[in-house]
Amino acid sequence: MSKPQATVIAIASGKGGTGKTTVAAHLALAFARSRKTLLVDLDVEAPDVIGYFPAAKLLGEAEPVKVPIPSLLSERCTGCGLCAKSCRFGAIVVLGGVVSISGELCKGCGRCVSVCPASALGEIKATVGRTSFFMTEGLHILEGRMEVGDIRSTAVIEAAKRRAPVCDAAIQVRDCPPGVSCPATHSIEGADYVILVAEPTEFSLHDLNAAIRLTKSRCIPTGVVINKDGFGSVDIAGFCAEKSVPVIGRIAFLRSRAESGASAALWSNDASFMNEMDKIVATVLDGVSWTAPA
Amino acid sequence: MDGTSMTTVSVASGKGGAGKTSIAAALAVAIAAIPGEKCIFADCDVDAANGAIALDAKERERFPYFAGPGFSIKANACTACGRCVQACRFDAIRKSADRQSYVIVPQLCERCGACLDTCPKGAVTMYEKQAGEFYVADTARGPTLVFAELEPGEDTSGKLVRVVRDRAEQLAGEASVIVVDSAPGIGCPVIASLSGANLVIIVVEASVSGIKDARRLVALVHSMKRKAIAIMNKTGLSADMDSKARIMLAEAGIPLAGELPFDPALRAAEESGNTWLSIGGEAGDQVKATIEAVKGVVLSMQRKKLNVVIPKETL
Repeated sequence: MSKPQATVIAIASGKGGTGKTTVAAHLALAFARSRKTLLVDLDVEAPDVIGYFPAAKLLGEAEPVKVPIPSLLSERCTGCGLCAKSCRFGAIVVLGGVVSISGELCKGCGRCVSVCPASALGEIKATVGRTSFFMTEGLHILEGRMEVGDIRSTAVIEAAKRRAPVCDAAIQVRDCPPGVSCPATHSIEGADYVILVAEPTEFSLHDLNAAIRLTKSRCIPTGVVINKDGFGSVDIAGFCAEKSVPVIGRIAFLRSRAESGASAALWSNDASFMNEMDKIVATVLDGVSWTAPA
Repeated sequence: MDGTSMTTVSVASGKGGAGKTSIAAALAVAIAAIPGEKCIFADCDVDAANGAIALDAKERERFPYFAGPGFSIKANACTACGRCVQACRFDAIRKSADRQSYVIVPQLCERCGACLDTCPKGAVTMYEKQAGEFYVADTARGPTLVFAELEPGEDTSGKLVRVVRDRAEQLAGEASVIVVDSAPGIGCPVIASLSGANLVIIVVEASVSGIKDARRLVALVHSMKRKAIAIMNKTGLSADMDSKARIMLAEAGIPLAGELPFDPALRAAEESGNTWLSIGGEAGDQVKATIEAVKGVVLSMQRKKLNVVIPKETL
């Protein structure tokens, strides 16, 4: 690798709706003041980053994300059923020697193709989503978007992660999906730092616990941003202290912020908010043993 | 599911934090309060299960959940020939720290088993690991709760959703209502939560993100041919967004059961351990009217399934 790799910061949460996208968008703007920054939307089931940047222009063309799925060459098939036995996803059923393939359940692992003794399975590509680059004042955006009705979100997430280096940014800010199962896991994998966004509610505390367990199991440095601070009285900071995870920022709850947030308006003119973002940027850079490019 | 008389109502939203769990809890409590009705709350947001908090649950039984076998490589049998790496399409196999063998990164592994077939040394082994637990609980507020906790990093949440729903259906007798609280998004666990549902309640947060995500959910619900009604939440923050949400629903042909305002009183109710039904004032009236409307739809669907003939004079 000749090029220095980007520093990757993943914004995740456990619970949905705590403010991941808001934090990701503004952190990316804060980073973009001093470094080439790419904001990557990995919440491919509900990609909302672009809604915050209505003036962003599509760069080039959207790239389809394709997964190879088996197709049957019936004249060669002997109906032996080994393909169905090998499939761990229930995508192939063989009844009375007749093979039926459910393309939408297939993960594209290719195991059926390699076990077929009659070479009766070929592969065709199914489109499961797309990735698109956008550009807006000083900030690059890469969006992953899964097709409605598909279940292969991780294929789209991995495709976006693979495409991100094309932008050659020094910083990647990833907006991750909620939860702690495969889409979230894939989204934080490879990150240098994870910011977990929490709000002072019982639901958020419960889900933050699971998210902290996930980042700890992956040994990724983690900090918590408390959003909607003052909206509830649950002690997120006390919980973080107990778990030895630093609180690296607080965003006060204001009705005016909830109002402009509903319209996905950026808060770049909110001085105290952007100050807080700058503080988070400094803490995160400190936490990832960052070497500034010459 | 069809052929039985239980009625399944799935609450979903697309966007996270739109209010699914609070609305599902209020609905389940309202249904359980009707004499002769039985309600099971199936918390199918297994990544972030908050139904137990919303309903003040006491665990009655717990069961282990096995996701199906995973794969690992025995370091002492591995010769680092690299055939498994070639076979793996998910880039989930990496060199070990000492570079003498390969290891499987469980977080990236899709558990397809392609590596198992290709290893000439038999170094790839299958293991069965508990991926979580699921529970049956009694709640202070009436509904019986079935919920699950997935181990963080485990990848089979759609399958666990099915396990939770199966348990809920076993507990539900004739004439009962199952309220399914779905995960955010539109992916695998959501499809597992909506499949076979008699009614989907789409919670639309009245915001740019909420509307976009709800639109994708509407497309999914239509493709799955489910009946749906909508509840708007967090209204009153932006008149423009309120009207855009209404227009989106009208264009999609989804009836709107009611609108709930963004009101800190709702948050206060949760903090004092109550559902949204407990609050007074204008917001309280809107919650009650909306839940009442949804309840009416659910009960009429249930009567149809049971072929209950309603005497004309009561109509």
